[in-house]
Amino acid sequence: MAIEYFVVESPEERGKQTYEEVANDVLLDLDLVRIVQKIHIFVDPGVPLFVAVGTTHPIGSLIRVRDAADVNVDEEGRAILSIGDEGYLAPMLKVLWERYGKEHVDQPDRFSVLVSVPAGEDPRGIEEIVIADPEEGLYKDLVYALQIIAPEGFKVRRQYHKEGVFYYVASEDTLPEEVVETVVAEQLKKIGVVL
Amino acid sequence: MIFVPITYKGGVYRHDQVVDLIEDLGGYIVQKHMIAQEVVLQCLVPREDVDLIREVGKPLGGEVTVAPLVGTEIAVVSPSLEIHHLPHVSCDVAEYLRRAGAKTNMVGLARGFGKRIANLNTEERDVINEHDLAVYVLGSFEACIKEKFPALRKGIKVPIVVTGAPEAERLKAVVAPPVEGYVGDLGRCMHRTKKPEELATLDEMVEEVSRALDERREAIAKDPLSVSPARLMDVIMEKVPEIHIVTHPTPVTVQIAGLRVKLPYEKYAESLQEIEIEEGVTVGDVAEVFPSRMRNYIWVRIKPFSETNLMV
Repeated sequence: MAIEYFVVESPEERGKQTYEEVANDVLLDLDLVRIVQKIHIFVDPGVPLFVAVGTTHPIGSLIRVRDAADVNVDEEGRAILSIGDEGYLAPMLKVLWERYGKEHVDQPDRFSVLVSVPAGEDPRGIEEIVIADPEEGLYKDLVYALQIIAPEGFKVRRQYHKEGVFYYVASEDTLPEEVVETVVAEQLKKIGVVL
Repeated sequence: MIFVPITYKGGVYRHDQVVDLIEDLGGYIVQKHMIAQEVVLQCLVPREDVDLIREVGKPLGGEVTVAPLVGTEIAVVSPSLEIHHLPHVSCDVAEYLRRAGAKTNMVGLARGFGKRIANLNTEERDVINEHDLAVYVLGSFEACIKEKFPALRKGIKVPIVVTGAPEAERLKAVVAPPVEGYVGDLGRCMHRTKKPEELATLDEMVEEVSRALDERREAIAKDPLSVSPARLMDVIMEKVPEIHIVTHPTPVTVQIAGLRVKLPYEKYAESLQEIEIEEGVTVGDVAEVFPSRMRNYIWVRIKPFSETNLMV
């Protein structure tokens, strides 16, 4: 999946070319070309203002315990989790500790976790517990990328990402809220999105 | 004797013969790098002997090229050296200047970013003024360069070469008062320069810098220095044994009209002034010795003939 729409707009022609290259390099380096669907960047050093708006490809659903481990029940009624994907072990343990308490979660070896569930609760229910939201990490990466693309002096910023739409506004000066909203709406219109 | 700056690149094997030859011919080795099996010598040699060095070096696999910037110290000034811009275009600029023989120092400004808030503090200003030339590596927008550059050049007395993404002509138009050199098409870039057109721009930059420095050399030639900086370096290397313990790549850095001696000022400044160059003429007679703003080094400024009436 490549980026469907990639436009940089600026009153200065040379600056526009540079920012096209910069944005392209950064998105490639950070491996975001497969995630970003549309992106429209507007830079005006005169105001000064940097606006990036865009959409992301729909991303996989929430990661649950069943995606990272097989859940079985032993004769004592404890849930035995056999870890399949170690990548999610840390967030999974964190969630289990929070929910059942550390004394009820035991990890005898690297690939198994034993959970003693309170009486009356189905040990199989553990399968459905959400352990990670891929969207969160994506949002962080995206904001980081846009921060790097934006000129360094533009320290005052606002960012947004929800349901596949994002925007990032940055400037050297503080800007009134209405101005930011109008500018963002204007730019979003260019990629066919209304917030 | 007219000296030309050259770079000798060759193997370690028997390179001392080339070193001896250069010294016997009356030339000066300004910098010597030994990297694994390779030796790089930056030197100033008499013009008529370049071919002789080339011939002697040939059987040893040595290569002699003219390096216009040998014997100069250049400040590469970047408004910011933050992680934001990595990989930095200033690194490529500095690298290219080094290839042409210059000693470069990177000056990353503390508050150089942003067009409204950019400024230069006194330490940065003084450090830059200790160099032969400053290359300002600026960004992509004319509007920004126009607004921030006056703040970044405040108090800078050395020649300046400005680089930026707009074409050289546009840079010329927005920079006022004019500076000594302009290089366009070299702005913010988030990858290492490797495309032929990018490398061509860097070559252009080296040319522009050497042109600006030639102008400076010509101006100095009208009132020549009392002693050549390379000669003074040789004298210091010979008479101050402590300099050989210094681990910097260039313990004595040669500039167009001075030297940077990388020894503590408090301890060595006095004895440095008393060193005799020749027939009773001391360093103090032909040069001024200042504390450098760079660490606690010594900065030596060689006086012109008109001030001393001496020529050694």
